Amino acid sequence: MILANGIVYPGDKQDELLDTLEEKLVNTLQNGRLNVDTVLDAFDRISRKVAAGELNSIIDEIDYEGKEEMIDQAIRMMGREYLEYKIQVELGSSRLYEKKDEGALITQRVPLGVIFHIAAGNMDVLPIMSIAEGLLAGNINILKLPSVDQGLTVKVMKLLLDEAPELTDYIYVFDTPSSDVAAMRRMADLSDGISVWGGDEVVKAVRTFAKPGTRLIEWGHRLGFAYISGYTDEEQELRALAKHIMVTKQLLCSSCQVIYIDTEDYAEVVRFSEKFLDYLEEAAVLHPVTEIGAVAELSLRRYVHELDTIIEGNQTPDAKGDEQVFRGRLTSVTAMKNPELELSYMYGNVLVKPLPRKRIASVLRRSKGYLQTAGLICREQERGELSEILLRSGLERVTRAGDMSSYFDGEAHDGEYALMRYSRITNIER
Amino acid sequence: MSKISKLFAVKDVYNPEASDALYVEAMRENCAFSYNNCKEYQKILDAKGFKPKTITKMEDIERLPFIPTATFKRHELYSMPKHRHFIKATSSGTSSGIRSKVALDFTGCLHALRMVFKVMNQRHVISLRPCHYMVLGYKPNRHNEMAVMKTAYGFTWLAPALSRTYALKYSNGSYAPDLEGIINAVLKKGRGRAPVRFMGFPAYTYFVLKMMKDRGLSVKLPEHSMIMLGGGWKQFYKEAVDKETFYQLAWEVLGIPEDRIVESFGAVEHPVLYLDCPHHHFHVPAYSRVFIRDPHTLEVLPYGRVGLVNLTTPMIKATPLLSVMTDDLGILHNEPCPCGCKSPYLEIIGRVGLKDIKTCAAGAAKLLEGGMDK
Repeated sequence: MILANGIVYPGDKQDELLDTLEEKLVNTLQNGRLNVDTVLDAFDRISRKVAAGELNSIIDEIDYEGKEEMIDQAIRMMGREYLEYKIQVELGSSRLYEKKDEGALITQRVPLGVIFHIAAGNMDVLPIMSIAEGLLAGNINILKLPSVDQGLTVKVMKLLLDEAPELTDYIYVFDTPSSDVAAMRRMADLSDGISVWGGDEVVKAVRTFAKPGTRLIEWGHRLGFAYISGYTDEEQELRALAKHIMVTKQLLCSSCQVIYIDTEDYAEVVRFSEKFLDYLEEAAVLHPVTEIGAVAELSLRRYVHELDTIIEGNQTPDAKGDEQVFRGRLTSVTAMKNPELELSYMYGNVLVKPLPRKRIASVLRRSKGYLQTAGLICREQERGELSEILLRSGLERVTRAGDMSSYFDGEAHDGEYALMRYSRITNIER
Repeated sequence: MSKISKLFAVKDVYNPEASDALYVEAMRENCAFSYNNCKEYQKILDAKGFKPKTITKMEDIERLPFIPTATFKRHELYSMPKHRHFIKATSSGTSSGIRSKVALDFTGCLHALRMVFKVMNQRHVISLRPCHYMVLGYKPNRHNEMAVMKTAYGFTWLAPALSRTYALKYSNGSYAPDLEGIINAVLKKGRGRAPVRFMGFPAYTYFVLKMMKDRGLSVKLPEHSMIMLGGGWKQFYKEAVDKETFYQLAWEVLGIPEDRIVESFGAVEHPVLYLDCPHHHFHVPAYSRVFIRDPHTLEVLPYGRVGLVNLTTPMIKATPLLSVMTDDLGILHNEPCPCGCKSPYLEIIGRVGLKDIKTCAAGAAKLLEGGMDK
C-alpha cells in the first residue's frame, strides 16, 4: 500500500508515483510552509478520539504486552499539551520560524526540508512516531514502511489527513521492500535528510546510497545493561529488574542484556546468578514469553554453539570454567568471566559479568556507538558518582533498574533531540 | 543379522509396541558403532556423559544427546571413510547457502529401499501402470546434490514413466521456474489414457492449480492419477491456504480426489519416509521414534504439546543421524486415528525463527518470486 496525494494506491504504482514526486515536492516547497499548529491540532483531535474509544477498530490491530499502558501513553503524547512541551524541551528558545535578532543577522529555525524515513519493524508505532516528529519540525516526509507493517501506518496517516487535509502534501508512505535499493535511492535523492531506524546492516546500506551532503539521522540498534554496586532495597530492586527483563523480553535497545556486578570476584558473579534466577523465574510466570518459535531458535543456537565448542575443543569444556549456566523452567542466568557487553539469548536469558568500577570506561569504550541505557542499582549516596562514570564512558541514559525501557517526558533519544536534527538554523543579513 | 536389519524387516510398520524392544537394541547397536567410528560424535557423547551401552529402554533414547541439523551444516560428521559413502546428500539449505553434509551407507540405503516399498504400498503408490510425471521441483543435473531433487526424481520410478516434465529447469548455472510448461503438459497429456502423477513442492503444485483455475482451465485426469507432495507446506502460511482448500482445488481443476493426494515428509538428516495416511496424518513408522522437546529447556514434552521436533532412527551408519533435532515445531498426537494405525502421528506446525521463516521450500518460493517479477 502506498499513500500519496492523500490517496491509497496499490504497491505496483510505486515507480509511476516516484516519477512525479520531485515535481510535487518542489511545488510544495515553493508555495508555502507547514503550519505546526495544524499538526498539533490534528494530533490533539486524534488523541481525543482514541480516548473516546472512537478508533478502537484500528487499535485492536496492535498486539503488545502492556498495550493498555501504551495506549494511555499514546493518548497523552499526541495531546497538544505534551507536544508543545516536547517542542519546548527540544527546541528551547529557538522555535520553528521564530525570527531572532542577532545583531547584523536575523536567525530563524526552519525545517530541514524533505526527510526520508526508513523505519524498522521492531515497534508497530515507530513509523508513525517518526513521521510525527518530521511533521512537528515542519518537514515533508517520505516513509519507507518496514516489511512487517500490516497497514496500521497508512490507516493512521489517512486518519491524520482526514483531520487536516493541509498535511496531504507533507506525507508520502511507500511499501517498498528493502531489496528495492533503486527505489530507495530515488527517495533518498529527493531528500535533505534520511532518518534511519535499524541495525548495523540497515545503517550501512543507507550509507552506501546516501549522497554526501544528505544529513544522516541514524537511530541505530543498541545494547542495554544493568550495573549493580550495592542496594538500596535489594528485593524490590531485583524484582523490578527481573520484571523489566521479562516485560521487554530483552528485545528493545534499552533492554537489559547483561547484568554487571561491581566486583573482581567471579564467585560473587556466580552467587548472584544463582540468586537472580529465582527472581527471573517468578517474573517469567507473570510475564510469560509466547513466541515459541523465537525461543526455540535461540535455544537451538545456544545448543549448536555448545556442540561447536565440544567438537572443536581438544577437551570437554569445564562447566566451572568460563561460564556457568543456571537454568530454570522458563529462563536462564549465565555467569560469565569475560566482561564484554554483548547480546544475550534474549527472552529471559540474561548474562551476568564482573565489572569493577575502576574498569567501567575501559570495558564500555569497546562498545562505543552501541551504548544507550544503563539501569543502575546502588546505594543512594553513590548514584551521582556512578552515573557520571557511566555517562563519561559513553552511556546516554542512566535509570533505575526497573525503568530502563520506560519513557520519560522530554527525554532525548540516543543522545539527541529529533526536532533539532530534523530542522536547521538559517541566517538572513539585515 | 544385525538388529538394525531386523528392525527394517518388521512386518507391522505402524505398531510401535511390536517394535519398541527391537528399536532400542538397534539404536544401541548403531550408537556403539557411531561412538567408536566418529571422533566428533564420541566427543559429544563424552562431554554429555553418555555411554552407548546404557541404552536399554526407550527413555534412554530420550537421554541420548541429539544433534541439531545446523551442526551437520557446520561440521563434517562421518562414521565411515569416504569410499564407503554410497550416497552423498545435501539439504536444500537456507538463504545462507550452507547445506547439511550427510553421507548414506550402502546397507542404510538397502534399508531405505525396503522402507520405501513398505510405506509406499500402504497408500498404493507403487504401480506397474505407466504414467506421465509432472515434477514440481528441480530437474536433475550433475551439479546438484540436493536431496529434495533426488527424492522427487526417485519417486518417478514408483511407476513406469512415459514422460517427465519439470517445473524448475537448469540453465546458465541456475534454476528458473517454468510453470507454463507444466500447464501445457498437463492439458496435453491429461487428455490421454495414461494417468498423470504430480510430484514435488506443495507451493508449486498449488501455484499451478491456482493459475489454471484463474484462467478457467480444467481437465479430468484419467483414473489412478495422483498428487504426491513433499518438501513442506511452510510457504503456504503466507498464502493463507489450508490443505482443505488445496484438496478442493485439485478436485476442481484436475479431477483428482482427496484420497489420491499423498504427502510425504522427510529430511536429509532423517532419511526415514513419512507418508500421510488417508486422513492425512503422518504416523511414525517402526524405523523412527519422535520426541517433542520444550523450546526453552529442550526436555521431552508429553503428547499434545507444541515443541521442537526431535527425530531418531538407527537407519544410517555413515553419519551419526541417530537423534537429530530439526528446526521444525510440531506436536505428537496419540489419539486413535480412523485409519487404524496404532502409532502416534506427527503434525508439523511451523518452523523456529526470529522473524521470517526460511526453509527448504522457501528457497524455491524466492526463486519463483524472482522469476515472476521479470
